[in-house]
Order: sequence, then C-alpha cells, then structure tokens
Amino acid sequence: MFDPLAPQGRLAVAALVLALLVLPLVWHDTYVLHLVILSMIFGAFAVAWNLATGFAGLKTFGHHAFFGIGAYFSALVSKDFEITPWITAPVAGLVAACAGLVVALPVLRIRSVPHVAMVTLGFAEIVRVLLTVFRETTRGEMGLWGIPAFDGFTLPVIGEVVFNAAEKVPYYYVAALLFLGTVYATVRMVKSPVGLALVAIRDSQDAAESLGINLTRYKLLVFSASAFAVGLLGAFYAHYILLLTPSSVLGLDLMILVIGMTLIGGVGTLFGPILGAFVLTIGVEAMRGVGEYRMLIYGALIVIVVMFMPRGLVALLDGLGPRFGFGRGVRLATSDDAPRPG
Amino acid sequence: MTTGEDILAVEGLGIRFGGLVAVNDVSFRVRRGEVFGLLGPNGAGKTTLFNLIAGALHPTSGRIRFEGRDVTGLRPDRRSRLGIARTFQITQPFAELTVEENVMAAGIARHRTLAEMRAAAGPFVDMVGLGAKRHALAKELSTGQRKRLELARAMATNPRLLLLDEVTGGVDQASIPGLIDLVARLRETGVTLILVEHNMRVIMRLSDRMMFLNRGEKLAEGSPDEIANHPDVVSLYLGAAHAGGPGHA
Repeated sequence: MFDPLAPQGRLAVAALVLALLVLPLVWHDTYVLHLVILSMIFGAFAVAWNLATGFAGLKTFGHHAFFGIGAYFSALVSKDFEITPWITAPVAGLVAACAGLVVALPVLRIRSVPHVAMVTLGFAEIVRVLLTVFRETTRGEMGLWGIPAFDGFTLPVIGEVVFNAAEKVPYYYVAALLFLGTVYATVRMVKSPVGLALVAIRDSQDAAESLGINLTRYKLLVFSASAFAVGLLGAFYAHYILLLTPSSVLGLDLMILVIGMTLIGGVGTLFGPILGAFVLTIGVEAMRGVGEYRMLIYGALIVIVVMFMPRGLVALLDGLGPRFGFGRGVRLATSDDAPRPG
Repeated sequence: MTTGEDILAVEGLGIRFGGLVAVNDVSFRVRRGEVFGLLGPNGAGKTTLFNLIAGALHPTSGRIRFEGRDVTGLRPDRRSRLGIARTFQITQPFAELTVEENVMAAGIARHRTLAEMRAAAGPFVDMVGLGAKRHALAKELSTGQRKRLELARAMATNPRLLLLDEVTGGVDQASIPGLIDLVARLRETGVTLILVEHNMRVIMRLSDRMMFLNRGEKLAEGSPDEIANHPDVVSLYLGAAHAGGPGHA
C-alpha cells in the first residue's frame, strides 16, 4: 500500500489522465461533457469522503453538509458582495474545513460507529434546516438563482476563456483540475506516514494510540482536509449549476449517492470511489428512460455489490490490481512480490 | 518518589466503574530491568491495572510515576512516547496492513519518512520470527503469530517499560515455548517487563518478582517462591487451579 506505483501502474494512470484531458477536444457533445463534469465532481466528493471513512474509519454520514456549506457560502458571498468566485470558492473550502473541525470535536469523543453516523447526519440536517429557514437570504426551497459564473480570462495560446451555460469546456477543465487535485492530494496523503496512521487508527484505535499516535491530531487533520475538498467542490457546483436549493446540495439523497458510489466502487481503496462515481453518474443518466425505476435499479445494484462483491467493483480489477496499484492491497507494486493471497 | 532503581511507582491506585471497585488502593514499585509478574484469578483487576498504567483508563484515586515523572493524567500516546509500551490480551493487529506495516506504525511518532519507518521496523520483524511473513496481511496470521506481531510492534517503540498482557493466552500449546523464549530474550535487551499471565508455570519461570491480586486488591508481593507459598495465594488461586485441573496450573 505504501510502495510507489510500478511503471505499468504509472503508465495506466498517465493514460487515464490524458484521456480525461483530451476528451473535450475530441468529443464536443455538451451532454456528455456535463455527465463527465458531474462524474468528476462526485468522484472527487467520494474520494474525499472515502479518505475519512474508508481510510481513517470515521464513519461520517453528514459530508453533504460541507458540500452545501461550500456551495451556499460561495454563491451568497460572490452574489451579494460581488466578489469573484475564483476567490469565494477556495474561501468556501476553508469555511467548510472550519465546519469540519466543529463536527470533528464531538466525533473525537465518540468511538461507537452508529453514534458518529447520527451526530454527523444530525449536523447536516441542522445546516439544511437553517438554509431552508433563512429564506430572505437563501430563498429556501424556492431556489437561489443569480449566482455569478466564474469570470472569464484570456490564455496566451488558447485565447479568451468564457464561462457560461452553453460552453462546457472551460467548466470541464476546472472540474478536471479539482478532480485530479483531490485525487492527487488524497493519494499523496494515503501513501505517506499520515496514511499509515489513518489506517492504523481505523483498524485499532487502542493499538494505534498505544504506539504513540495522536488520535486527535490525525482525526482533525483528515476531517478538515476532507471537508475542505468537499466544500470546494460544492462551491464549484454552485457556480456551474447556477441554481441552489437546500435539498439539491444538502439532501440526504446526495450523501446516499456518494456512499453508494464508494461502496459500489470499493470502500477503502484509492480507485474504487472514482470508478463508482463514473459508473453511477453515467449509469443513472443512461437509465433516465425508465423513469423512477432507475432508483430501484440503483438500490438493487448497491445491494448486489454489497452482498456479492463486498470489496466493490474494484475487485474486478484484481488481476490488474497488484500491477496497477489500485486495490486495497496495493503494496504489491514491486516485481519481486508474490501475488496477494485472497 | 521513585528511587534511581525504580522505573515505575504506583501509589494508592484505584478505579471504580459505578458501584464496582475494579482496582482498590494498589501500590507497588517496579525496578529497572526486572520482570514483574501480575498474578490473580479472573476478574482480579490485572488487565484493568494494565490499562491504568498504559493510560487507556484513568484512575479515580492514586498516582502513577514513570521514571520519576507523574504520568497519571497523560493519554496513552503520550505515555508511549515517554517509553511505555503494551500488548493486548485480545490481540489488536492492524488487520488490513502487512506485518511490516504494522511494525512501521510504531515509527509514526518517532520517524519522519516511510523509508525510515521501514528500516526501523525490519529488525523487530526478524526478532520475533516473522521475517518470512513480512508481506502477509496481519489478518492472515494465527493467534500465536499475532502475539509475536504485537511484541514486535511494542518493541519498535523502543520502550523502557513493556506491559505484556497474557502473551500465551489463546495460543496453541505447541506455540507457547517459542513465545516464552521470545519474552526471555526481550529482557536481554534491557527493557523492564510487567507480565500478566494466566499460565502459572510461565509466569513463575519468567518473573523476578511478582504481585498477587484478588478482587482488585493486592494480597501479596515477593519472589515467585514467596508468592507460590503464600497462604492466601495457595488457597485462592493454586488451590482452585489444582482443583480445576492443570489448565491454569
């Protein structure tokens, strides 16, 4: 898990990144780009949630609160104070990180998984209710509109870059930057001493603490880092979709979607949540024709994967896993290692 | 106060859980470099006492001094960094990590890079005889191997005081002699050991001095011979154990 990727793994990652970056140049379909943008946003969300839950073992079910806080903070501040979203979005990430610290403090004192889940879920529900109640500012469920788009700029070779609803490509690249940035930062963290500490804490808090690992420090770090990423993604979402309601960015179904993506892809793996996000976002859209039944299919898929593939779809890549370094047992990256049993 | 010879001084230690007094007014001292055995029937408070010394529980009365410093209010991670390490009665491996990574985790608070942690972990993995299992996941190990893993992990914190909670507990008979030899070798490194052990033969053989606990109170302290011949110990523990068969004898 903590070894660097083998050359084949690096090649595979480079190919995927390249494909992602080249896609809008060869495929101009606005709808396809929109789907990939959403996949990247929710993929990054799932990666950030999985960092706290899958790697550090903090079973939080209220991460959509940070998405909503980031979205509403950036939307309201940029709209009401006429500050560019390029500034309000990262600040929204910081605000979400601070909110993460506030939630983490009670979570630190609780070791029972169901209680952590309830506290975090309750926090998200409080945020949703507050945003619904303060109608004069947020417009509640009537929807907050008039959110400014990102300001355009001019690039040396490419020329003018404009952000508007008709032109997806600039948004695509901002989303790709956020997605790749989140994944890169997560991989760096997981494959560092911090990652070792997080997994140790997940597997046994008592043992980790007995080895001198400061539980408080690592839990606060992972919770706030994860909340920062999700808050930033929420801010991007606000300036991309340009319409917010408390139920769209703070509804429990958003959290369930992200949990579903992570479970289906593979909880506690680096690649699983990304795979799950792309499969579900694009899959749910592809099933639009069957109407409400798609949520039924979606639910059945989660049940099937949890029952028969508890390690997630990423287990399908097992043959590739050791070489590509994507799975849970990604330590087997060197040529002298035998295949991982099981 | 501890003398220069004492590494640990426990004074009037007590803890109650609601109405239950688990440990009551226990005082003892452990000298640097010795093996100190804790003996007592089930529910005597041995593991609770361990948790108090390691910091996993905080006492309702009394003080704990380690190398002259009052550590009573410190968290387990702070005590670990001061030089107190422990193993667990029911082993607590980091299941999804390899043997080597488990031991590397002991270096998180002590080294900066993974490479340094790996280098520091290697000798301890070899010392406990798990060199061949270096890359196996901890969840794939047998109970005896998990006990060895915990010894390696605890020793990798470079402790001066090591608390061993039932090293042979739950281990198959064939693996016990190897574990006893390992503990005997640990003391050669100079680390001070406190043992909790159900197996009377094991603890008698390994300990320099012993303390006998019953219902959270100290009944006797002395050499293994003195403890074995103490009338309270004979009636409470050995008598019952002999009557109950050789399992605990």
